[in-house]
This record gives sequence, C-alpha cells and structure tokens, in this order.
Amino acid sequence: MSEKKTTHFGYKEVDKDSKADMVADVFHSVAARYDLMNDLMSAGIHRIWKRFTIELSGVRKGNSVLDIAGGTGDLAAKFSRIVGTEGRVVLADINQSMLEVGRDKLLDTGYQGNIEFVQADAQFLPFPDDSFDCITIAFGLRNVTEKETALRSMLRVLKPGGRLLVLEFSKPENEVLSKAYDAYSFRLLPLMGKLVANDAESYQYLAESIRMHPDQDTLKEMMEDAGFNRVEYHNMTGGIVALHRGVKA
Amino acid sequence: MAGDINPTLHTAGLAAAEAAMNRALELAPAGRAALAELEDCVFALHCTAPQLDVFLQPGSGSIRLMGIYDGPVTTSIRGQASDFAELATANDPAAALINGNLELHGDSAPLIELQRTLAHLDVDWEAPLVDALGDVAGHQLATLLKGAFSWGRQASAGLARQLEEFIHEEARLTPPRLELEDFYREVHELQMQVERIELRTARLRKRLHEKADKD
Repeated sequence: MSEKKTTHFGYKEVDKDSKADMVADVFHSVAARYDLMNDLMSAGIHRIWKRFTIELSGVRKGNSVLDIAGGTGDLAAKFSRIVGTEGRVVLADINQSMLEVGRDKLLDTGYQGNIEFVQADAQFLPFPDDSFDCITIAFGLRNVTEKETALRSMLRVLKPGGRLLVLEFSKPENEVLSKAYDAYSFRLLPLMGKLVANDAESYQYLAESIRMHPDQDTLKEMMEDAGFNRVEYHNMTGGIVALHRGVKA
Repeated sequence: MAGDINPTLHTAGLAAAEAAMNRALELAPAGRAALAELEDCVFALHCTAPQLDVFLQPGSGSIRLMGIYDGPVTTSIRGQASDFAELATANDPAAALINGNLELHGDSAPLIELQRTLAHLDVDWEAPLVDALGDVAGHQLATLLKGAFSWGRQASAGLARQLEEFIHEEARLTPPRLELEDFYREVHELQMQVERIELRTARLRKRLHEKADKD
C-alpha cells in the first residue's frame, strides 16, 4: 500500500512536504501580534485554559519541562517559576519568528537561567530519550504535519512516569454552542484578524484547522496508539477546548 | 478536583482570588516574609458544602492557588464553608481547630502559622496611592483613609457594644450571656436530678416486683 503523500492545511489538501512551510508563513505573519490576538479572540480565556494545563501538569520544583510550539512563552514563563533554579524549561517552536518573540518577551520580563530556547520540529525532537518530566503542547498539535509521528517523538523524550499535556481546540459538546462557535470562527475571527493583524487569511486558516483537528475521543485514541497510558481529557468552555493528558509507562 | 464546578469557572475563580491575595501581599512586606517561611508547604482545603477543593502553596512573596494537586500535602482540612470561615477569622486558630468541625490530617503547626499570617496582614495602602497620585497627595489621602478606617473600626465596635447592651439590658429581647449560662447550668442540674430520680424509681419498681413475686 502506498503511503499517503498529502495532508490538510485548513480545508485544503496539500502536499505533506509543503505544509510545514505554509504553517510557518502563517505564524511568521501573526507572530508580532500573537498575544494581542489571542486575548482578543478568546476574551482572555486562553489564560484560564493554560492555567488549568499547568495545574494538571503536576510540575514541581526541580522538574524538567518541554513546552513544544511554545510560541510567545506563556506556559514556559509559569513553568520557569515553578521548577525554580534546580529545574529546566525548554521552550521549543518550529517557527523562528514565534521563538524570537517568545525569547525576547521572557528575557525582557526577567525569565532567564533555567529557560532554554530551541527551534525544533515536534515530529523530530532533538533531545535524548527520557529527558523530560513533562511535555506540553498548547494550540500547536493541529499545525503539525504528522501528529502520530509527533506523539511518538514526545513519548520518546519523556521520562518514564512523565506526562504529556495536549491543550487544543476541540469539538463543542453542545449543538447550539457549536453553531454559535462556527459563526464566530468563520465570520468574526477573519474580520478581527484583518483589523488587528491586517491578515484575514491566517485567521481563516486558524478556523479551518480547528475544524480539521481530531475530536476529543479521536485524539485520545491517537495518544493511546502512540503508546501513552492513562489517557484522559477534560473539556473546557463547553468543549471548545480540550486538555488531554497521557502518561509514559 | 472542583467537585461539580466547571474546570474553566473553577480555574478562573482561583486565578482571581490568587491575583487579589498576591496584590495584597505585595503591599504587606511583613506578611510576605512570614509566608516565605512556609515555602514548600502545600495546604489542601476540601470544602464539602459547597463542594470545592483548593490547594494553597505559599512561595517567596506570593501564594499559589490550585484546583488540582497530585503531590504530597503538608496539611489537609475538610469541612463546610462556614467551618473554614470560622477558622479564617478566629483569633485563636488552634482553639478553632480543636473545637471546630474541621477534620484535619497532617501537620497543624504550618496551617496555624498560615492562618495567623493571612489574618493579620498589615496592608500598606499608602504605597500604591503615592505611586498613583504623587508623594504629597498620596500621603494625605492615605492618612485620611487610615483615619476613616480606624474611626470606622472603633465606631463599629462601639455600635456593636451598645447594640448588645440595648438588646440585653434595655429592650430585654434576649437575656445577657451570664444569665443564660446560669440558666443552662440549672437546666443541666435539673436534667441530672431527673435522671437520678428516674433510676431510683426504676430500682424501687424492681424491688416491688421482686417482693410481689416472693409473696
């Protein structure tokens, strides 16, 4: 059987080799206004979702944490304070622009000493086996070309007993909420993108990529297939976002 | 976890409470130093009505509130919201823990220290006022507010005392505390006497039955 050579980029079917570049273009375009847009689009609720992720991560002083697709460093900053000087936080992102924005923001606000910045592809993580106590990927997995490869790569670099947390947009539990969310995503979101970031297309991609992302149960199965144990998920804000957690045996 | 509460709402509530507590701590240097001594302690507060779990972790200069915590905790307390409120406002937290309805596991000393620190936070409101309004206006306003708060506290204490006197002595709506305690003591003595008479009657009845059986 021949391997599938295409993948989706929003609603478009594109060549697998070109998706990473297309996603990179989107994030190069939005990097400078990423934080502002996140606050506007979610009315600040993304901070609550990330806070819940940190609680569920169980990260403590001295732990080593990898934040993949860490973008502008919201999670890495919190983890840096929790792990303290004995711990280690690696902020990884495939996109150079996002990594630069995140690095500048964290260094400018005094986070240094226990944070490293690494430009890395989630599918091919450049770390030794069993390196981290916890890995987080917030709003990043849907942009990865081959999610299964990325999940296996994360499992490899996790220490036994380590936890992976995937925070990602998902499927609303309620039909009415789903319709309202669709209207918001496809009408208001590109408009806000155009007004604030002067880039409607990137936010159109954002809405489409959310719809193409696996729902809660499918992602749970994918994590189990990749080798994670005790996989569970928590729906937040009616399932608009779900937090999946799996443990490496 | 947060019982029946939605994780988004629970987390949002904790984030707001944590921000408020840490803002107050920023203005209370003595409290901040006392909390730093409790660094690495984790307190689990399990409220049964309403159902809510909160984990409180003091750090150097701040407090972290969490809805979920998997690790070992220093002290765990369980009870209703009213029991927690009683402990939070108690002048003697040790007595409140012993006499109250809270169920406690673990080390009580750090918990008592935490209660004392939080209950006696001496917040310096002058600093943010001076930052916002300048040295002279900020200081004047802070002095005015401090005076108003102090007068308010005294007035409130005075009012409470006078109201108590009026209720007890003037209107005679409820008896004074000492009178009530005397009454309870008399009721208790009466209860003991009734119990003794009851037992004596039972013994006499038994004797009569035995005598009747012999006859």
